[in-house]
Amino acid sequence: MAAHYDVIVIGGGHNGLVTAAYLARAGKKVLVLEKRHLVGGASVTEELYPGFKFTVFSYVVSLLRPDIVRELELPKHGLTILPLESTLTPLPDGRYLYRGADHWETLRNIATFSERDAGAYDDYSRSMYFMAKAVKYILGIRPPDPTSYRPRELWGLVEMARHFLALPEEQLWLLARLMTMSAADFVEQWFESEPLKATLSASGIIGTFLGPRSPGTAYVLLHHYMGEIDGAFRAWGFARGGTGGIAEAIARSAQAHGAEIRCDSPVAEVILKNGRAVGVALENGDTFHANVVASSLDPRLTFLKLLDPAQLPGELVESIRSFNTRGSSGKVNLALDALPELVAPPGPGRHLAGSISFSPSVDYLERAYDDAKYGDFSRQPYVDVIIPSVIDPGMAPPGKHVMSCFVQYAPYELREGTWEEKREAFGDAVVDALSTVMPNLKDIILHRQVLTPLDIEEMIGISQGNIFHGELSLSQLFFLRPAPGYADYRTPVPGYYQCGSGTHPGGGIMGAPGKLAALEILKDN
Amino acid sequence: MAEQIDVLVIGAGHNGLTAAAVLARGGFRVTVLEARDVLGGAAATEAVFPGYRVNTGAETASLLQDEVVRALFLKMYGLELRDSPVALFAPQPDGTALTLWQDVERSAAEIARLSARDAARYPAFAAEVQTMTGALQSMMLLAPPDLTALDPGALAGWGKVGWKVRRLGDREMMAFMRILPMPVRDYLDDWFESEPLKAALGADGVTGMMLGPRGGGTALQFLYQQLGGLNRYCTVAGGMGALSEALAAAARAAGADVRCRAPVARILVEEGRAVGVQLEGGAVIRARAVVSSADPRRTLFGLVGPTELEPRFMRRVRNILYRGSTAKAHFALSGLPHFAGQESAEQLGGRIRICPSLDYLERAYDDAKYGRISENLYLDATIPSLDDPSLAPPGYHLLSVTVRYTPYRLREGNWEEQREPLGDRVLATLARYAPGIEQLVVDRHVLTPLDYEQHYGLTEGSIFHGQMGLDQMLVMRPVPGWSRYRTPIANLYLCGAGAHPGGGVTGAPGYNAAREVARDLKASAR
Repeated sequence: MAAHYDVIVIGGGHNGLVTAAYLARAGKKVLVLEKRHLVGGASVTEELYPGFKFTVFSYVVSLLRPDIVRELELPKHGLTILPLESTLTPLPDGRYLYRGADHWETLRNIATFSERDAGAYDDYSRSMYFMAKAVKYILGIRPPDPTSYRPRELWGLVEMARHFLALPEEQLWLLARLMTMSAADFVEQWFESEPLKATLSASGIIGTFLGPRSPGTAYVLLHHYMGEIDGAFRAWGFARGGTGGIAEAIARSAQAHGAEIRCDSPVAEVILKNGRAVGVALENGDTFHANVVASSLDPRLTFLKLLDPAQLPGELVESIRSFNTRGSSGKVNLALDALPELVAPPGPGRHLAGSISFSPSVDYLERAYDDAKYGDFSRQPYVDVIIPSVIDPGMAPPGKHVMSCFVQYAPYELREGTWEEKREAFGDAVVDALSTVMPNLKDIILHRQVLTPLDIEEMIGISQGNIFHGELSLSQLFFLRPAPGYADYRTPVPGYYQCGSGTHPGGGIMGAPGKLAALEILKDN
Repeated sequence: MAEQIDVLVIGAGHNGLTAAAVLARGGFRVTVLEARDVLGGAAATEAVFPGYRVNTGAETASLLQDEVVRALFLKMYGLELRDSPVALFAPQPDGTALTLWQDVERSAAEIARLSARDAARYPAFAAEVQTMTGALQSMMLLAPPDLTALDPGALAGWGKVGWKVRRLGDREMMAFMRILPMPVRDYLDDWFESEPLKAALGADGVTGMMLGPRGGGTALQFLYQQLGGLNRYCTVAGGMGALSEALAAAARAAGADVRCRAPVARILVEEGRAVGVQLEGGAVIRARAVVSSADPRRTLFGLVGPTELEPRFMRRVRNILYRGSTAKAHFALSGLPHFAGQESAEQLGGRIRICPSLDYLERAYDDAKYGRISENLYLDATIPSLDDPSLAPPGYHLLSVTVRYTPYRLREGNWEEQREPLGDRVLATLARYAPGIEQLVVDRHVLTPLDYEQHYGLTEGSIFHGQMGLDQMLVMRPVPGWSRYRTPIANLYLCGAGAHPGGGVTGAPGYNAAREVARDLKASAR
């Protein structure tokens, strides 16, 4: 007879681990089951080639909630965030837009493209700061159910209305526009120069299968501004040791309170008894029993794979089936023999320690989307590059480097051919695009790993490789995430909970779904 | 001493006339000032070719609010609405065609030729659309509630909307909130598999929008277009202009003075209050309230001027997205065209829609996104003379084609030189589905987005006075914070399609605005 647990968490991604850590701290006996050989899910660091450590999937951090960092004592368990202070937008013609820690320098650089934009930049930054502050409230609450007449739900709605209606009028309206506009239209309210507009609106397309001119992307832009590091909004950072360092710190925090973590333990199904979740069965047939089972997998897997859909309400099954999980992003990880040379600015320097955005114009991004919407990968893709080994020298052997390239768009389903046939052509398109601003790139590549949405699905399980477990569109947020009536982390099966990015408030290394789910589980148990 | 006027209405479009008629019936002395020599604005019927009566703007009155028709006794003043049994005839490149009827069963039977599954789902789809449009309809004739003022009146407004949506039922209420921000493509994908069907329906979602069917919010526009009923096609006997004539007759009967050829040069503002207008001839007319049915930018920038406006408000007006992308081409035909897949002339009684797939529509948008006229145009053609022979000389027919996408801002060339090539392209596109149609053409007339701006006063040629995206609806229409028909200038009101609920021949903005104006005038008289 196997040991009996209070809670089994399916999936050792960062959200699963956060749930486990909170529950362990509350005195629960917790077991985390991870299918891979290491914890982290999309938040892992792997030494793919000897000496070269890669943030294979997710690569930067900002959204991780400060309350979680504090409450789980993550710094004590080894989390160190190194600042990622600048964004460089190099252009193939040798011009570049560098925005860094020195505010006046940033404004001067913007002014070389447009005086007007430099004048508007502070107003934009301030507006986004207030927007991020305004929605921060939402990140800490369980979405109320607007169809319910229960006092708790009604009160939740009233509280929320009060929060937003208390905002100054300008902010309220800006927020309303942010929720509904396209990223490009939104930033065009301030700016006119292409590299700036494109680089800002690129945050609005990350993880979505939408172009910068598609309504709804302004919200995704905000989602990426909600990050806070040490209380500073919009600060991005790199975890020492890569994003795996975050998962490991959370795992250690959980283990310090008695949580048990088992890797190489893929769960096949949730075991039900009298309609209640009582445990899980692994693919190898092993079973584990618990009072509560929480799934950090995406909604499709949580409901349709781990359970038998026939036992769920038809409406829920329908909602989950139409839940949009179109994957749109790929990743190219490069091991480099030397630092890449940029056309401009030349030579090594602090600009290589920030992010390098290949986003020359809004039309460029939009055309990249055009390719993808008809079922091809972007021939000229949007690429967001960081060179972790510049920030954290431990990531590569001395003198060598690793480069992380986040790429859009790569549709999960190709109209012609298979990803198996096209993977390397996709990798070539990325390297070709980057070579226009990094002329020596092709000469210094030692190894290359190309990840398509299909690879992401196969390696870490996320349906269709959608990095947010489901698009962050207005139709799939808040009390609609992942399905109407099931946004409270519960499921129709008593004892079975959801705690992944497919729940409110969504994806990114934020931890909020994991924490909010843990709080709901504790309320019920 | 000039006569004493209570209300000046700028523009005799259907919304301006509606506001004028409502206010005149309410006992106010109303004068309507129209720049052109015909009534109706974009709801007009004009003799662009001798012997023909052409709807130069809107073609259908499907969205016209019953309450407006009833309250103004429009039928008594000559309005005759004609519901066509056929809504849509969509010829396909393979020579077949899909016909959708107002009757659900009849449409389902047609759909069954394409997909048995879709045919079986169509009645449930029609029911859902009816539920959703019912919720939308409940907001049509309300002034949007004031979000920032938490006074009892504003809360009651919200409560009313909330209650209407709530009454839909739990499932329907959630569906309503989920569907509104969706792309129409995703919405239809949830229901159907047949591409011709999805394209024929989905094209409604891009009406007046510079967005493709993958654009968020196009599901809302699709539903808006079904407000009168799913696949309803309703015209006005004698042309759209006859509606405007009926509205003008109702206004005049109540004592309003409706003047054509009276272009307003500016709105006179004294101490932050609108006190009247100056006509282009120099004449000044003063009134207690000025109600403009011109679009917000034209009204506030063109007629008021930025010096009277506070910069933050001005910025909101400047940020309204107009993005006209619609043109029209009118053809005088010596006979009735015959389309591939057509079995009877009856099928041509509604819209003839050239939009074979949603990808076709998306690619048409792609061109426009980069400032080009769509290589392959999406066309909605009508032959109004089929049902109403008075619109063309005996034996001849009138073909009116609504053309998308034709972006107002062309990256290369200009609309002056593109006008006739566009006409050629429209005809060539039609000829692919109606071989020989070129030989029937005896005359033609093309209206570009620039023409709509210059001659009809529509900023950037936007047929809705501002795109009806989610960011410009309800409390955010025409600009956030000013959705209750008032402006920061006291006594100046907006009553056109730029105000809630938006475009289309509904009469709703004019009707709602008139109510607010009357309320304020009565309050100030006390």
